[in-house]
Amino acid sequence: MNVSSWAKCAIRAPVQMVRIARRDLAPAVGGVRAAMTVLPLVAAVLLLAGLGFGTDPVVVAAVAAPVVWLVVLLATVPVARMVAADEAADDCWDLLRGLVAPSVLLAGKLVAQWLLLSAAWLAASVLAAVLLGVEWPPVNAAGGLLGTLGLAAVTVLLGPLLLDDDGHGGGLLAVLVLPAGLPALLAGSQLASGAPAAVWLALLVAYDAVLLTVAWAVFPVMVEGS
Amino acid sequence: MTRRAQVERIVGVVALATGVVAVWLGLLVAPEDAVQGQVQRLLYVHVPAAWVAYVAFAWVLIASVAYLLGRDLAWDRRARVGAELGVGLTALAIVLGSVWARPVWGVWWTWDARLVTTVVLLLSYVGYLGVRGLSGDPDVTARRAAVVGVLAFVNVPIVHFSVLWWRTLHQPPTVLQPAPAPMDPTMLATLLVGVAAFSLAALWVGLRRTRILAAAAPPVAAPLGASGPIRVAAGGQR
Repeated sequence: MNVSSWAKCAIRAPVQMVRIARRDLAPAVGGVRAAMTVLPLVAAVLLLAGLGFGTDPVVVAAVAAPVVWLVVLLATVPVARMVAADEAADDCWDLLRGLVAPSVLLAGKLVAQWLLLSAAWLAASVLAAVLLGVEWPPVNAAGGLLGTLGLAAVTVLLGPLLLDDDGHGGGLLAVLVLPAGLPALLAGSQLASGAPAAVWLALLVAYDAVLLTVAWAVFPVMVEGS
Repeated sequence: MTRRAQVERIVGVVALATGVVAVWLGLLVAPEDAVQGQVQRLLYVHVPAAWVAYVAFAWVLIASVAYLLGRDLAWDRRARVGAELGVGLTALAIVLGSVWARPVWGVWWTWDARLVTTVVLLLSYVGYLGVRGLSGDPDVTARRAAVVGVLAFVNVPIVHFSVLWWRTLHQPPTVLQPAPAPMDPTMLATLLVGVAAFSLAALWVGLRRTRILAAAAPPVAAPLGASGPIRVAAGGQR
């Protein structure tokens, strides 16, 4: 590959990545479905948590952060279905695979999933602040961004697993996604609760590094065919 | 008898002998714990089961990566066997830990970081085994399972370090740490023999299970030209 064609590829890849991310987030593909699923889920869990845990400020302060991350983890299941949307429509998936490199496809889907999960985390955090009356430390934002990045990698990898020959993959996806999000739940909750930040941020960075590396290495295998 | 069957038999005999020694040491030789009493002897099974489960899950990771690199279904079968062993041994460790905890801690279950992360780890690998039933195509199944096998290992370090990161009721590592806690030499020897017995038994089960799975697998079609075209002679004989 000469310098000219390399430069063309280097310019084309980010453009393709953004197009894939926009396509995944577009209303016609999955944007509306995700919004209609994830946001009511966030609101419902936060409301029920407030109702269940009562108004004791001590109790609320102890459970607010884990509840927020639990909501985000629960949201990964419907969000992961979007990754498989292309695979469900075989022609579309084949077309995408033919047009762009697997790494670009991964990056585009990863960005879309990260944005969706970040939005779910933000919505849950704001609702928790309003409904439960908790104040988040500034480092919570870093925890949210890092934690949802790792979760996005999990959903991109496990989303295609949804599609089985009998259509029974949905429940199993929850069994797989929720445990894989354990480090994000633990570290994110600790950061939001005001625990010493360095060690938990380090855990999240390590979690993201491992998952992004695994996703980069394994995603081409996942898109080989259903 | 094939060489593989011979190895399997030798491993089985050695595992049985080591197991008998471990039972003898655990029940008759090791002293009674000064604080916990006789129930402490359960830990000679609980700890080896947990350790060998870690090794089994590490084996799933190695075999999954090997499958993804070479696409050899034999590695997929090895990964499956590792997961089956790991799930069984983790479940055993949890159940025995619960039985031990009732008289010592006063509860069957507590929301301790080590306990919860271990159950979550168990669920991950139950999910791994569930993925294997999603597709009828062995290659698709192997590919999906390998991805999950790599991902599921993320939680193993969390389980191991949970007793250090949190102030847990579960005790921190006794043997696997830079400065091991003081322990009666007979108790330590019993524990190590227990680990050896569990490791050998797991190896024996793994070898047998892998052989059974290989025998049940559909034959792989030989590439055309490897044995030449099929020639039909007069009378229908090849």
